[in-house]
Amino acid sequence: MISAARDRRSALRSICGHCVGMGALLALERPSAQPAAAPAEPVLDAITLPRLARPAIDSDEGGLWALMDREEARLRRSPFVVRDAALSDYLRSIVCRLAGDHCPDVRVHVVRTPVFNASMAPNGMMQVWTGLLLRMDNEAQLATVLGHELGHYLERHSVERLRDLKSRAAFAQFLGLFGAVGSLGQLGMLAGAFAFSRDHETRADSLGIRLMQRAGYDGQQAAQVWDNLLLELQVTGGEDVGKRSPMMATHPPLASRRSALLRLAGDRSGDSGEQAYRDAMAAHRLTWLQDEVRRGQFDESLILLDRLARRAPADAGVLFARGETLRLRATGPDASRALDDLSAAAALPGVPPQAHRSLGLLHRQRGDLPAAARAFESYLSASPEAADAALIRHYLKEISP
Amino acid sequence: MMSRRLMLCLTLLLTGCASVVKVEGEQVVNQRLVVKVADAWNKLVTAGEGQPFEAWTQDGLMLDHLRFWAAIKPGQTLLVAPSVPVGAGRRAPQVPTFRAGMSADELVALFELVYAADGSLVTLGKLEPVRFAGEAAVRFEFAVARKSDGVQLQGVGWVAVHQGMLFASTFVAPRLAFFGRLLPKAEAVVATARIR
Repeated sequence: MISAARDRRSALRSICGHCVGMGALLALERPSAQPAAAPAEPVLDAITLPRLARPAIDSDEGGLWALMDREEARLRRSPFVVRDAALSDYLRSIVCRLAGDHCPDVRVHVVRTPVFNASMAPNGMMQVWTGLLLRMDNEAQLATVLGHELGHYLERHSVERLRDLKSRAAFAQFLGLFGAVGSLGQLGMLAGAFAFSRDHETRADSLGIRLMQRAGYDGQQAAQVWDNLLLELQVTGGEDVGKRSPMMATHPPLASRRSALLRLAGDRSGDSGEQAYRDAMAAHRLTWLQDEVRRGQFDESLILLDRLARRAPADAGVLFARGETLRLRATGPDASRALDDLSAAAALPGVPPQAHRSLGLLHRQRGDLPAAARAFESYLSASPEAADAALIRHYLKEISP
Repeated sequence: MMSRRLMLCLTLLLTGCASVVKVEGEQVVNQRLVVKVADAWNKLVTAGEGQPFEAWTQDGLMLDHLRFWAAIKPGQTLLVAPSVPVGAGRRAPQVPTFRAGMSADELVALFELVYAADGSLVTLGKLEPVRFAGEAAVRFEFAVARKSDGVQLQGVGWVAVHQGMLFASTFVAPRLAFFGRLLPKAEAVVATARIR
């Protein structure tokens, strides 16, 4: 009974659309009557549409809206929602910049889950997962994703998807898959099972680019979003993950999407909004980095953390997260590399206290007891009420002469 | 109590190849970890390989569970992830794996990963050195926000290494009402643990 209810809720959540994220990436690789690199249809009409009215409750679309309203009520109570007015206001300002007149109809919920994903329900409920926010380099990249989601909303793709699902066995297959969570690839497979059609994704890409350029963003950043994600997906999906879908085993090239995005963006310049984005995420970045480490997919995380460290080599939080990931993976030269990262982090302003603890544990493991004691003392000094203080004091007692 | 047990059995039987048996008296996990049971617990028995831990419950596995890992060797995983097709050039996701020489905090981190593997949020609480199954061990507290339904769970665990093998137990239940009510029963079982 409980399990059935959980599956039902999972399915409803998925109707909200595991859209941008691995799902979108993989869904785009599905076979289609359209060639992969086909130019998008004109999308100006959707941009100039008047605000969407609530459909009649006795229509299938009205029923879908009602379901999504209930899901949104549940989401508002969820412990996974990040309740930070400043962050919500920032995301809302980007949505409004993109959506124009539709701004009052869209509600953005930040969901604390360390995976690249965003979705848009037909009733205007948008979800952005923290794993996606951690992976964006700037505001223009986030606008790419939000614009894409708004594209689905404006063209009411969810309704078409619902009608399509009713006539397919994919729904049962999807329910059977739910629960297989872990790597980006697995989540992508789940998302792909219930994703928008390839044609919808292409149209949402086109509309998203138009929206972000109308708002003054650099459209070239759109392709970078997918380039970055692809590097992570290749860890478990193999080098040619972009050429095939695990669900459909088809082989159209991902490169066509990238080139289509670049072609749509053209030469028009725009804002990247890097500093504004960094400032807006600063209060949460360390938490999200720690969530990434706790995902336990160390190889994938290191691809991300290497990229973040290249962009911000003096970011103590990133160095701590990479050092911690290497320390926990502990294969080959990981311990030595972890020591380098954690030592560098410990010398930077704004170092998380936990970096000293991890450094102490590494020194202790390597037999450098004086260095371990110094690091443990730094940790306890910075965080005397830490949950693991008793254990660290126990270590200190063990290694004290 | 009878109807609750019947409901538990039906749920498990309908959702997979599993059965539930009542456990009482002295129990041996993986032929190495012995515990004595004062209150009756329900044990999940799965067909085939199943998970590398034994799972017991009072009110149903969606509500509470007491897990035991016994004699886990280096290289063994603490969790079996749902199988996914892994073709040429692809790799399965990483799963929390016990390694030789792991420190107490690394052992605790393994369990953090076990409970976060389904996308749940895990927050570690108090860690302290204790004895478990007659060995020097670490006791750890943690909170879990379960991804599937948003239920807030509270957990406690004990982990020790004996002759290079991992022995551990965790107890998890909803923070509201269940954890406080059932924890003494779980602790009573864990307190009797010994390695043979």
